[in-house]
Amino acid sequence: MIKINNITKRFGDFTAVKGLSFEVEKGEIFGLLGENGAGKTTTLRMLATMLKPTDGTAMMAGFDVVKESEKVRSKIGILFGGETGLYDRLTCEENIAYFGLLNDMEKAKINDRIKVMARVFGMEEYLKKRAGKLSKGMKQKVAFARAIIHDPDIMLFDEPTSGLDVSAIRDVHEFIRTCKNEGKTIVFSSHTMSEVEKLCDNIAIINKGELIEKGKIKELKNKYSCDNLEDIFIRLVGGKNES
Amino acid sequence: MNLKHIWIVFSKEVKDIVRDRKTIITSIVVPMVIIPLLSMLAGGSVQNMQNDIEQNVTISLTKDSNTAQIREFVENEIIGDYPNINLIDVDDPIEAITDSEVRIVLGIEKNYKEKLEQGKPFAVEIIYDKSQTKSEGSIYIVSDAINEFNKKVVGQRLEKMGINEDVLKPVEIEETNIANDEKTSLSILSMILPVMIVILISAGGTAPATDLVAGEKERNTFEPLLTTKTGRASLLIGKYLTVTLFSFVSAIASVFGMFLGYVIDPKAITMGAGTQLSGFSIPGLAILMILMICVLMGMTFAGIQIALSTYAKSFKEAQTYLSFLIIVAMIPGYATILMQPNEMPLYMFAVPILNTISAFKIVLGLNINYTYLLIALASSLVYVVISLKIAVSLFKRENVLFRS
Repeated sequence: MIKINNITKRFGDFTAVKGLSFEVEKGEIFGLLGENGAGKTTTLRMLATMLKPTDGTAMMAGFDVVKESEKVRSKIGILFGGETGLYDRLTCEENIAYFGLLNDMEKAKINDRIKVMARVFGMEEYLKKRAGKLSKGMKQKVAFARAIIHDPDIMLFDEPTSGLDVSAIRDVHEFIRTCKNEGKTIVFSSHTMSEVEKLCDNIAIINKGELIEKGKIKELKNKYSCDNLEDIFIRLVGGKNES
Repeated sequence: MNLKHIWIVFSKEVKDIVRDRKTIITSIVVPMVIIPLLSMLAGGSVQNMQNDIEQNVTISLTKDSNTAQIREFVENEIIGDYPNINLIDVDDPIEAITDSEVRIVLGIEKNYKEKLEQGKPFAVEIIYDKSQTKSEGSIYIVSDAINEFNKKVVGQRLEKMGINEDVLKPVEIEETNIANDEKTSLSILSMILPVMIVILISAGGTAPATDLVAGEKERNTFEPLLTTKTGRASLLIGKYLTVTLFSFVSAIASVFGMFLGYVIDPKAITMGAGTQLSGFSIPGLAILMILMICVLMGMTFAGIQIALSTYAKSFKEAQTYLSFLIIVAMIPGYATILMQPNEMPLYMFAVPILNTISAFKIVLGLNINYTYLLIALASSLVYVVISLKIAVSLFKRENVLFRS
């Protein structure tokens, strides 16, 4: 579903991502692991066509991120960590519908889908309320619905739990599982080992823009004879940073 | 670019701004209420001061000339026919001017009576304070009274000599003002309106332009937008049209505010100078052309504002850039405020902002030249394209869009 081929991004003299390559199978949750500034966000931004790769490319649901960016965008949904990024003066329904319209959905289809998602996320009561009047948890659910209104095949999560409290983190994890159950392919960036271990099928560890390891968590544990992902991460990244 | 996407973005942005009470109050309600109120207050205070200057002229005599004889002479001969001038007694006349107790102090020669009888001139010194508006404004009233006394004495002397007073007037000046009320009104408008329009349009788009890009970046609503199917050019044009619309809504609200001020007090708009804004007869084509030029200038401003908002790292930085833009827009307006419609050189019709001001001036001054208007129209169109190209190019540049 996702095939990244030697993708590189340079900002002037600084290389944020160096020749990254990996593949993600359909319906899989793929964890992108790295410290702050490792290149996770830049990689996800390239996959979302927000940034153009300097070299290499990636295929998303069969479309090239460089040559077919519009088609790629119609196949992806994205959720960022931190602020939910909703329009406070629009109602929840309007916030969600706006993204449906921007993704070329018919109004009737948008309305049907909003009804379904309102039930799934328990938003029925506040659907007509302005987003600015909602609690953080409620806003987050609206952001979930907005990200998948157009039923994308691929979901990109960029540190979605950063700055959230325990129950909000649980909601995000639940949402990621919902996406997986719907058959969506998921790329999930994080520097929290426990959640990656809990959710992901496969992982890639990147450091200073370079891929330093990839594979199934269980296989990596065996390979490095470690009980948890954190030890593997420290061994790989710590070692690299010291050299 | 996709028209459907542009419309979706535009209608969402308009809905969002209309729901923003703060923006609606500052850009629509405030101009409609504050402008008439301010012009009424300013116009009213100028009128009140004018009335006060004319009606309550207090004068005094210098210590040397403050004798009973001179007081009587001044009261009966000089200000006798001027009930608005009052001679009062003060301890220190010069101090009294400084304290605004009196406006003018007269120093009259003690032997004025002998000189008057001998037919010789005597001196009258007028002491005033130029730094005080009322003192300076009273000079012409007191001088007028002294001149009337002069005329009366000259008339009496000539009559005694059997000479007709007309012998002193070899030339009789007759003034004919060829400007009718309409032309006078338009001339005043041609000074005020172009500057106002430029400032109002440049200021009107500031709030939405800041909010629609820099604000979106800061609130984290911008990145999700970039991941939708809608292309960046469509996103930008939708936002750009919103800024253009609100520039005009705000400018129209302000002009309506001025009109309201005029309806309530016709003299208010000219600060009490008095003019009748009625009976215009500007050709329809000329009006249409300046309106088009005006719209194009608004679109140019909107392009620059969106570009600056895109370039800004934060909401505050965008506000700083856009406030500076209003100052830049003011400079050509104020630099040409006193230029007459027939003095506008050809090159000004091709320079940004100046082209709109010049076009307004020649149309309002009824000095219409359609070739010049066409040059202003064409150049305005070029500036719209340039500003839009800059905005689109910045909007597509990663290093600008993700600048932090």
